[in-house]
Amino acid sequence: MSDDLILFHNVSKFYGDVLGVNKVDLRIPSGITSLVGPNGSGKTTLMNLMSGLVHPGSGSITVRGVSPFVPEKLMRVLGYATQYDAAPRGVTGFGFVVAGLLLYGYPRPEAERRAAVAIETVSLSHAAERKIAAYSKGMRQRIRLAQAIAHEPAVLVLDEPLNGLDPLVRAETIALFRNYAAQGRHVILSSHVLQEVDVFSDQVILIANGMIVAEGEIRNVRDEIHEHPSQFLLHCQNPARVASMLFEQADVTEVKIAPEGRGVLVMTRHRDAFAAAVQRIALSGQEIDGVMPMDENVDALYEYLIGGGK
Amino acid sequence: MLEMRRAFFSKRALWVYLLALFPAVIFVGHGISVKMQRSEFAGKSVVSAAVLDRVTVGTLDTEVLAAAGQPLLDRSWERRDVKRRTLMYFDGSRRVWFEFENGALRDTRRRELSSMEEDRKIYAGMFQYFYLRLAVFFGCLGIFINLFRGEMIDKSLHFWFLAPVRREVLLLGKYCAGLIASAVIFGGGAVLSFGALLAYQTNADLQAYWQTDALYHGTWYVISAMLGCVGYGSVFLAAGLLLRNPIIPALVMLLWESINGFLPDLLQKLSVLHYLQSICPVPPPMDPNVPPLLRLVLAPAEPTSAWVAILGVLGVTALVLYVASRAVRRLEINYGTE
Repeated sequence: MSDDLILFHNVSKFYGDVLGVNKVDLRIPSGITSLVGPNGSGKTTLMNLMSGLVHPGSGSITVRGVSPFVPEKLMRVLGYATQYDAAPRGVTGFGFVVAGLLLYGYPRPEAERRAAVAIETVSLSHAAERKIAAYSKGMRQRIRLAQAIAHEPAVLVLDEPLNGLDPLVRAETIALFRNYAAQGRHVILSSHVLQEVDVFSDQVILIANGMIVAEGEIRNVRDEIHEHPSQFLLHCQNPARVASMLFEQADVTEVKIAPEGRGVLVMTRHRDAFAAAVQRIALSGQEIDGVMPMDENVDALYEYLIGGGK
Repeated sequence: MLEMRRAFFSKRALWVYLLALFPAVIFVGHGISVKMQRSEFAGKSVVSAAVLDRVTVGTLDTEVLAAAGQPLLDRSWERRDVKRRTLMYFDGSRRVWFEFENGALRDTRRRELSSMEEDRKIYAGMFQYFYLRLAVFFGCLGIFINLFRGEMIDKSLHFWFLAPVRREVLLLGKYCAGLIASAVIFGGGAVLSFGALLAYQTNADLQAYWQTDALYHGTWYVISAMLGCVGYGSVFLAAGLLLRNPIIPALVMLLWESINGFLPDLLQKLSVLHYLQSICPVPPPMDPNVPPLLRLVLAPAEPTSAWVAILGVLGVTALVLYVASRAVRRLEINYGTE
């Protein structure tokens, strides 16, 4: 079972006196997992720990059953597109990806074939023979992604992979992640653009000050936070009346008439009681056109759990 | 290949080439100067060496002129009531200067147009005092310390660490790349400078040397330069892993190699230079006027036999590489602190 998981057990990492991550326990299943947190929260440290670029001060990590202390095995199942912008001097994008594949032991013709496919996948074929030093930020981002996927790893680790990508390439890249995840692979990525990961992540790990503050599917994470009020928008014909009935029948924290006057914004800590109340109000003859959750996205969680610190 | 390309063709490598080629340039220059002097003296009158050697201190200038004839140079001047005169003759291979004071011979100086024996000693001194101690030393510092530390500064080391290769294998690969580059550069530099030494010798000298020691000497000079790369390379590779500032290991190593003569026998054997000097084929010249302290620093320790010296360098290298392999397993990518 653990051969399909990425496991962190009580992992701590300090850089001298500076905290990297502290007492992290994680079980990451396959699919798209997003690490979300403010700058310096420990996202990159977590990625570097699972790829063996840094070593934990205490605790243990396995990536699909492989220890990060065994790079000769780990790197066969893991591809890592780091945030580091540098590449060996003087190499072309194609040469960069081929060089990486040669280190994997592929014969040159096979390495060149795989490199061409990977570069095509990230839509960079037109610039493959140009030197990386002449690449734009987005192109460097893509060539690093090409190198990470070229050996078709089971675990793809990507540090802020969508930074600097134009909308079209961004959409293609997200489609690539989804395709990878659909094949039962791990796609671990970090991002501070919350709306992006909210859209395509299977699970999120919220991290602040080196500690995991929440993890799991976005909806489940949301459910775990009972003390955080949920916000809903009720579309209805008579907002004032519905608001009054909600105050009478449900344990709501706050009710506001929506700005356009066609609904009610409700905040409640008891979702089940709220749902039952809405049902009763509808059965009483009040016309309710719809109920929409307003904060089941990472932004709301993020701001609540991390205190809005970005 | 990437590593070797970088070692051979990076901008940093330029001064490594300058260090390696400097002795060759010096000997080529000296050879040109010798050849020009030879052609200059080719048409000059020659006086028998026996005649010139018979002239002793106190002989009058007029007697010398009568015995040896017209000199190639006759210069007179007067200073503080002392009349001075210099006469120069050429015996076919040596220039002889007779220095007179008030008409009587005070001093005689003789200098060969070129002496292979002397040139070989100068070459030996240059090789041990400059080439091994400084050129190979600092060249290897530049090449090997950058294998890890340079990539850490360039923020490109993770590229290698993300390959499915044991860190120890990566270390050996980088060491081999640096070693091939440095051995080619400094072994080549030794070949060129030794070739430059031979290039201007007379046919007779060259033939005599070639039939006796030339191949043996040349081979051991090249081997000692390459062994220098083997030994110093491993030390600086390890230093690049363990320390951030290359100046510190360079100074410590330079100091260690310099004070080697003062150390007990066992510690002397932990010096790369000790073994390199042991296999150098010609002992370096030591001017009797060198102060005793400096003489102690420059003088090689009790030499070790050639094969023991080679095994010694390889042993020191293996030990250092073992320590480096332990360090590289613990090495973390942490560019932020660089």
